[in-house]
Amino acid sequence: MEANTGTSPDAPALARNTADRVRGFLNSYGLILVLLVLPVVYGIQDLKNDGNLAHLAQNLFAGLSNGTIIALIAIGYTLVYGIIELINFAHGDVFMIGSFTASQFWSGALGIGLATSTFGIAGGILASLIVAMLVCGVLNVLIEKVAYKPLRNAPKLAPLITAVGMSFILQNVGLLWIGGSPASVDDLIHAQQEVTTILGVHVQRADLLAFAVTIPLVIAMITFITTTRLGKAMRATAQDPEAARLMGINVDTTISATFFIGGLMAGAAGLVYALYETTIWYFQGFQGGLLAFTAAVMGGIGNLRGAVIGGLIIGCIQQISDNRIDPAWTPAVVFLYLILIMVFRPQGLFGEETREAG
Amino acid sequence: MSEGDDILTAERVSKIFGGLVAVNDVSFSIPRKRIVSIIGPNGAGKTTFFNMLTGLYKPSTGRIAFDGKDTTRTRPDRITDHGIARTFQNIRLWATMSPVENVMVGQHSRMKAGLAGAVFRTPGVRREELRVRERAREMLAFSGVKENRFDDLAVNLSYGDQRRVEIARALASDPKLLLLDEPTAGMNPQESASLTQFMHKLRDELGLTILLIEHDMKVVMGVSERVTVLDHGEKIAEGDPAEVRANPRVIEAYLGKQG
Amino acid sequence: MNALRTMADDFRARVPPWGGKALAAALIVFAILLPFSINQAGTLMNNCVLSMAFIVMGLGLNTVVGFAGLLDLGYVAFFALGAYTAGWFSSGFYADANVHVGVSKYLNALPGVHLNWLIVVVIAAIICAIAGILIGLPTLRLRGDYIAIVTLAFGEIVRVFAINGDAIHLFGKNYPLTAGRQGITPVDQLDLPFLEPFNQLNLRPWYWTALVLMLIVLLMNIRIRDSRLGRAWIAIREDEVAAASMGVPLVKTKLQSYATGAAFGGMSGAFLAAYLNTVNADQFQFGFSIYILAIIILGGLGSIWGVVAGAIALTFINYYFIPEVFNDLPSKFGLNFNLVDINYLIYGFLLLMMMVLRPEGLIPERRRKLELTEGIGVEDSQLGTQGL
Repeated sequence: MEANTGTSPDAPALARNTADRVRGFLNSYGLILVLLVLPVVYGIQDLKNDGNLAHLAQNLFAGLSNGTIIALIAIGYTLVYGIIELINFAHGDVFMIGSFTASQFWSGALGIGLATSTFGIAGGILASLIVAMLVCGVLNVLIEKVAYKPLRNAPKLAPLITAVGMSFILQNVGLLWIGGSPASVDDLIHAQQEVTTILGVHVQRADLLAFAVTIPLVIAMITFITTTRLGKAMRATAQDPEAARLMGINVDTTISATFFIGGLMAGAAGLVYALYETTIWYFQGFQGGLLAFTAAVMGGIGNLRGAVIGGLIIGCIQQISDNRIDPAWTPAVVFLYLILIMVFRPQGLFGEETREAG
Repeated sequence: MSEGDDILTAERVSKIFGGLVAVNDVSFSIPRKRIVSIIGPNGAGKTTFFNMLTGLYKPSTGRIAFDGKDTTRTRPDRITDHGIARTFQNIRLWATMSPVENVMVGQHSRMKAGLAGAVFRTPGVRREELRVRERAREMLAFSGVKENRFDDLAVNLSYGDQRRVEIARALASDPKLLLLDEPTAGMNPQESASLTQFMHKLRDELGLTILLIEHDMKVVMGVSERVTVLDHGEKIAEGDPAEVRANPRVIEAYLGKQG
Repeated sequence: MNALRTMADDFRARVPPWGGKALAAALIVFAILLPFSINQAGTLMNNCVLSMAFIVMGLGLNTVVGFAGLLDLGYVAFFALGAYTAGWFSSGFYADANVHVGVSKYLNALPGVHLNWLIVVVIAAIICAIAGILIGLPTLRLRGDYIAIVTLAFGEIVRVFAINGDAIHLFGKNYPLTAGRQGITPVDQLDLPFLEPFNQLNLRPWYWTALVLMLIVLLMNIRIRDSRLGRAWIAIREDEVAAASMGVPLVKTKLQSYATGAAFGGMSGAFLAAYLNTVNADQFQFGFSIYILAIIILGGLGSIWGVVAGAIALTFINYYFIPEVFNDLPSKFGLNFNLVDINYLIYGFLLLMMMVLRPEGLIPERRRKLELTEGIGVEDSQLGTQGL
């Protein structure tokens, strides 16, 4: 029993039986297969009924468009989790405050309505975008200071509970501000108006708005994270806070900056949502937040690119479910996907496998 | 060599994490009722190897058998059921429990009371609780913990006492093989010597087989009947302490590490 | 430095050993006699009944979160399942069926499935225990905050099924899963021997039933806490790698906590379905999970008596003080809303303040207090564990 002549061809085979191999396969490909189920099933149905995939293409396009909103919110979740390993449960409600701020700003402070000139509307939207982003950025930083910072050394249970508390507080603020029922917002950009049709897919103004806001922001985000000093500090702190501190990085400021940026994105998402859906509701943050968190996890929590792609994917799932199954069942469908991700691939599409459950 | 002489055999065991080979094709066996040691420079893979023996890691290749049963892919709690117990390099007591409670949990695998038993508190269950509590106190006393510390919080005990409690906890599961991961770390020479005597006592009075990871050469030389040396995840020498100590490869492994 | 003294330790130090038991006995006698001295259909009685139902819920969630340390944010699922069990098996909902077991003459004549409530409670406990295991399974390898989200997801899935269940017909056209938002109503009122008839006008029999249920669950909790299983939960919570290495089977032990906690929730749910005389989807929102969580946080995580105190306090605050006593407080300050309108705000602040100022709760549990205030016994295991 003392053979130690180094590795040789007759070393006992890898200690993997079928259970391991199945698990490995499911971990690598299971998630992708599960994601493909919906489009494939309905694609086949379309080919049978219509002879083409135009319906599915429309679903997917609308999904991508909706998905941009989810992606922006997901960025906030993923950045914060990456840096302090905490789910900012209140982040979805920050998004809701963004919608409220934007819509009340342009209608209340700027007095912009359907009758305003196109130039006025454009300017008003831009101004509202900036205001909403800033308000949400600051709000997110405040949440960190009040609810998370005092509990940095407490067991993880504690900040999660304060996060829920903050979520409730923000929801009630929304409730008092606008009321309990969904409120309609001026359709300033004529969201449903069709702009063009490409390959059978109808493109609406709302879609243009969504992409016009999201794409530059995401590019700016990625550029910021990869090139600037602060961006590098954020990545360093996310990898190893102690080492970052030793390198002279002010970890507290970096964390605040991360929350600020996450808030900026949520604010932008809020504005787009308000113009896109033309309704706002105090409860939209709870739902939107869970969708966005699912997206962040699907992409790989802590991974910026993953959050964006995850957002687009969840947007598509949501659209297909809304359009083909029933909007009433969509939350269950998305949550089922969340649970499947956690079971088969908790590290998400782009996370590393060696980390324990994300 | 028949397996009957060895309480544990590991055959060509490796552990690969992603790209890193932590343990490379190591074969190793422990004869019954002996005290054997594994030594090696830091990062040699000793604790990783330990963790495979106790089921915390699954080997990437190879087989492990304990007392005639294949334990290559067995869960840690089942391995404890079979009769292997361990202590940890960084003491892992349950800080908010007392030493007595820690050692009572150590007997988990030897107790029968389940959920129903807990709820109905039959006389059998009550007797078991008393017995387990008594045994915990015995184990603690046997391991050298003073009685006035029995019900303190584990986190408030001295370092030496915490180590003793950890050993008592390991003994509580009635093991046949005891794995000690750097048990003398942080001890002064008297404490190390007394631990060495204690290990002899365990082997002679309780019939235990003991596997040590150790850095303290005095302890290794003093207590081991056989020493195995790992370096960079590979076994580079094995034999009685004097042989191993004089082995040029071993010397190079240790000295070379300082470079 | 000796073990940190908590209120309970101080109490035990000042009072002879039989003191604790005497106090408990006195409280029980007081609780039994209370209904004779207050209005049998009044607000106070109602709040007492609700408090006891929520004590049982709190004890259930405490088993999962407080004892085993598994953060469950979807506890509403078990309230729903317990309530629907009562809705399915003790009402006229399935009017095509004609099943009667152990019920009164009056109910015997009615269409539907009518089982004696005691049977319903047992079925509810079993269904919820199974559900608890199913919900717990995916969470076993996840870490804390992920467990929270997955359980939350399950809770929301149950709610979606509750809302849309009127369109699901598992056993035929006249057997929908739920009655959606409209709800299954009426639900059979209880009918137990030796007690006065149960109805909405006389709350006393409800009170005593709830009291017995609560006492049974309380006793079970105390016994489990001080048992091999209870110790195993603490060990897992603090350091599951060490626990597994000492012979504690992680999967089985964690699932036992989910199952037990769920079963308690189901029993209380079955009671509430009958007491509130309805089972509708609006009762099963995320806010309910947080309400029960707030109870155990306020009372003291892991502390059985804390849960009792927290449940009584929050129930009275939620169902009495806010909506009835102090509702117009804001308008006295010239504000344009009622106290009920800022219910979420109040809870949010409560949770925030509790975790920042007094995370160990009103009646702290010794170990949790150490974890929450001193960070003792809290660690992320360094060793990644495979295949546990």
